[in-house]
Amino acid sequence: MHKYILRRLLMLVPVMLGVTLIVFTMMHFTPGDPAKIMLGESAPEAEVIKLREELGLDDPFLVQFGRYVFNAVQGDIGRSYTTNRPVAIEIMERFPSTLKLAALGVLVSVSLGIPTGIISATRQYSLFDNIAMVAALLGVSMPNFWQGLMLILFFSVQLKWFPSSGFSTPSQMVLPALTLGTSSAAIITRMTRSSMLEVIRQDYIRTARAKGQAESIVINKHALNNALIPIITVIGLQFGYLLGGAVLTESIFSIPGVGRLMVESIKARNFPVVQGGVLFIAITFSFVNLLVDILYAFVDPRIKSQYK
Amino acid sequence: MSKIKTSNNQEEVKAVSKKKRSPWVEVWRRLRQNKSAMFGLAIIGLLVFCAIFADLIAPYGIDDQDLRARFITPSRDYLFGTDNFGRDILSRIIYGSRVSLQVGFIAVGISALTGGALGAIAGFYGGRLDNVIMRFVDILLAIPGILLAISIVSALGPGLQNVMIAVGIGSIPSYARIVRASVLSLRDQEFVEAAKAVGANDFRIISKHIIPNSMAPIIVQATLGVAGAILSAAGLSFIGLGIQPPTPEWGSMLSSGRQYLRDYWHIATFPGLAIMITIFALNLLGDGLRDALDPRLKS
Amino acid sequence: MRKNKKLLTLLSMMLVLVLVAVGCGTSTETPDTGDATGEVKDTLIVGQGADVVSLDPHATNDQPSSRVSKQIYNTLVNQNEAMELEPGLAESWEKIDDLTWEFKLRQGVKFHNGEDFTANDVKFTLLRALESAKIGHIVGAINPEGIEVVDNHTIKIATNEPFAPLLAHLAHTAAGMLNEKAVTEGGENYAQNPVGTGPFKFQEWKTGESVTLTRNDDYFADKAKVKTVVFRNITENTARVIELETGGIDIAYDIPPTEVSRVEEDQNLVLLRDESLSTAYIGFNAGKEPYNDVRVRQAINYAIDTDSIVEAVYQGVGKAAKGPLGTNVFGAHTDLEQYGYNLEKAKELMKEAGYENGFKATIMTNENQQRMDIAEIVQNQLRDINIETEVQVVEWGTYLDETAAGKHDMFILGWTTVTGDADYGLYALFHSSQFGDAGNRTFWSNDKVDELLDAARVEADPAKRAEYYSEAQEIIREEAPWVFTYNGENLAGTRKNVKGFKQHPAGHHKLVSVYFE
Repeated sequence: MHKYILRRLLMLVPVMLGVTLIVFTMMHFTPGDPAKIMLGESAPEAEVIKLREELGLDDPFLVQFGRYVFNAVQGDIGRSYTTNRPVAIEIMERFPSTLKLAALGVLVSVSLGIPTGIISATRQYSLFDNIAMVAALLGVSMPNFWQGLMLILFFSVQLKWFPSSGFSTPSQMVLPALTLGTSSAAIITRMTRSSMLEVIRQDYIRTARAKGQAESIVINKHALNNALIPIITVIGLQFGYLLGGAVLTESIFSIPGVGRLMVESIKARNFPVVQGGVLFIAITFSFVNLLVDILYAFVDPRIKSQYK
Repeated sequence: MSKIKTSNNQEEVKAVSKKKRSPWVEVWRRLRQNKSAMFGLAIIGLLVFCAIFADLIAPYGIDDQDLRARFITPSRDYLFGTDNFGRDILSRIIYGSRVSLQVGFIAVGISALTGGALGAIAGFYGGRLDNVIMRFVDILLAIPGILLAISIVSALGPGLQNVMIAVGIGSIPSYARIVRASVLSLRDQEFVEAAKAVGANDFRIISKHIIPNSMAPIIVQATLGVAGAILSAAGLSFIGLGIQPPTPEWGSMLSSGRQYLRDYWHIATFPGLAIMITIFALNLLGDGLRDALDPRLKS
Repeated sequence: MRKNKKLLTLLSMMLVLVLVAVGCGTSTETPDTGDATGEVKDTLIVGQGADVVSLDPHATNDQPSSRVSKQIYNTLVNQNEAMELEPGLAESWEKIDDLTWEFKLRQGVKFHNGEDFTANDVKFTLLRALESAKIGHIVGAINPEGIEVVDNHTIKIATNEPFAPLLAHLAHTAAGMLNEKAVTEGGENYAQNPVGTGPFKFQEWKTGESVTLTRNDDYFADKAKVKTVVFRNITENTARVIELETGGIDIAYDIPPTEVSRVEEDQNLVLLRDESLSTAYIGFNAGKEPYNDVRVRQAINYAIDTDSIVEAVYQGVGKAAKGPLGTNVFGAHTDLEQYGYNLEKAKELMKEAGYENGFKATIMTNENQQRMDIAEIVQNQLRDINIETEVQVVEWGTYLDETAAGKHDMFILGWTTVTGDADYGLYALFHSSQFGDAGNRTFWSNDKVDELLDAARVEADPAKRAEYYSEAQEIIREEAPWVFTYNGENLAGTRKNVKGFKQHPAGHHKLVSVYFE
């Protein structure tokens, strides 16, 4: 198991190098001179040239890339063009909000999705099941930025229950977490239901029932445990998706997270921040995936034996 | 001994290709029995109809501004109301179906073709080539799709074409993985070995034998992928990095209606509903296809 | 007990994960801002639409940062809300020759770190500002060799060439006075630990979220009335207004035009509307056919209904422009005749110019919602004089490059006369020496205008300067290198109990005299 984790961690190195190269290349060929953008419309040409030199923007591509990787290995991923502060610090300051948002999103989706999925599965084709399934499909279909606006319209503007912006008090977190969590909740509901149904059909469940065990025990003990693995996979995948989805949610609710930072940085051609941000999210994403794989083994010892 | 085997396999190859037509008829038959899938298909049909005949259906033009008729709430003249330029929202949604369907299908085309080809090559040849391709796929997978799309769009610049490319590239990995997996499962099966034995070249084997037999998961993925692509494109427009006005893209219509949300709810609401219904229909169809294809997948 | 072990473990692990994640962020919790009823409010919360970039005034030139810096720093010369110059850190000044000004500095002023404010700080600040790539141009007229410390509280500042608007430039927030010791000690982190002489001291900055300032109890002039000011960053316009309505903030800057009537009608809120220094225009590339023909330029001016643009794009906030300057800029000609919408005249002029059947044109703009909206309307209206236009929305850097290189037909851009002096609002935009990147993206020039702008720059007598500028504006209006489109307004909303708040035309409003009732 340790070897497996170590190997997975080592595999991250080339992947991250690749991510860096891809993002760096894209940013490099993005039109627009960062120096000009930083200085605005009223700056004289001489100052633009001076700034380009300062930023090392005139060096050849490979020199710039080499310099970036060399520094990144030492923990220095550059400075923001706009604030001149270290990118790592800028990202770390905002990451807690994003992580919190994604975590709350997962919490919403799991606490909505798993119970609904279980009930739907145990009462297949009932009214509850039908409504839940249509609702789940609608949940998947709803663009989350639109849902966010509708929630603001209803809960902030009409009912005045929750604030529409910010992210420091619990009441400010309700709408963003709902917005981000809904579509994942829908996916988890569907996954839980289908995975439960599959398990319920199997022989040992029939055996357990035949033995006269209480239905709740059958469902909770036998069925759910075996249905968990695919559910965990989906939750893991959703966490990554939520990290990405936070980009839109953060914009709607004025949340000071990494996602909004990235969108603003892209618009301002603030390349170091974009590179750093993508790299950072990619690393987080990969770690979460690794964590999910380890959780598998935890839940299902059969899988554990495969990790060598 | 070996001769006999070869001829046997050739027969099997023929048998497989003979059977090829009937499974699809069977799938269609099963799909037709699925009411919700047919409902989804009907909505998509309607959308395609709207897209093709937009000029005839839409009550107003694509960019007909009437600055005296701004912010009209839904009424008989303007079923969905008008926006801040006095443009008819219904008409723009109808024209917008062109944009969204284009984005959806072309983006999926890009990712399914590229991803499919990469996956097929990786799976079929294996070894170092497989390794290189799959590491590349890993790299793409490590970046959440929307972030990747945002970065690509910012490099290429906004606009319909670039959005399609960006969204398309973002979902290459999933096709590559699906196709590779199914190629791996088919590669060593007898009819492929048979085809090899009779001297068919690699391209022929991949295109004639492997691809058709791994179509089912690709079709399901593509149907859901169209939905995903439309959503991503709308999301890009929403944050101002996608298709630019005055093109009536649903996401950008929604985004520009955002600032009037409190007084004129209809501007942002209807484009949002349009997106939702389209995605809903595609999901219904995708689910239906999955169920219809499922028995085949199992066999 | 055992029946559900795995599920329990799983769920508890997830819960721990969530708690850890949430715990990571608890440090960002805002302190209680005393919104509870009954308490005396002494915390003022201001909402604005973008992040503060830097609190080092030499490191950035963006509005959100200036709005905060304004409270922390003082300038030598103040420009009040009526755009009149007043003593600031300088008590008095005197022009001693064509190039040189002598400033007497206020005595007994202390920086927030306890250091005395002296002439050496002025010299240090100006030299540092001149080095800045971001705001160097604001003080660019100053000759670095010509800054001479006479004694602790007297300093001479010389310009490279005679430069009449120097005082207005020194009143710009970017020319706020820094303390040498604080800057040196702060090093790279100075922007996060700014030190000034202003009415508020820096306290805390939560990136992307808020900046908190506290009252400077040693302030040399009238002390601030509130104890704490929090600048909250609420990017969504609508959300900012909702926060104002629900009392989450006390003042909201930049009320979106769509929300104006709502704020106006709300009995708990007060709306402030004042003309700003910003203008929006559609420029022609006068170096290119057919835009080199003044009749075509005039025709387009007549064909575009700028009033309807103000109505549709800005929801009636602001005014259709008559000329190149907003009316509260020093030297603005306030009696220019507006072109006005006149389709007949436009058609006639097009016919005279030989373009009865029109031509194809492009309008370039960047990803700015209002500019894109204007482009869409212009596109529509120009069809009436047979001009088929294509709107090109390009990225900002590309936009500046292309328009500087003269690759455009028409373009939409804005300008803010930040110093409130006509020199800033005309010279860079209409002088022939400023073609391209320097600011004149229309490539239009006129010898007489050049002459007038040069003369007004040197002339010391304000009345004469105003005369020169008036004449220049008449010519510019007639020659129409722009479609004079729009003069902006500053819009702010406050809670009703907020008193003493006035808007500054440049947008960075003073908060020292604000109090709660």
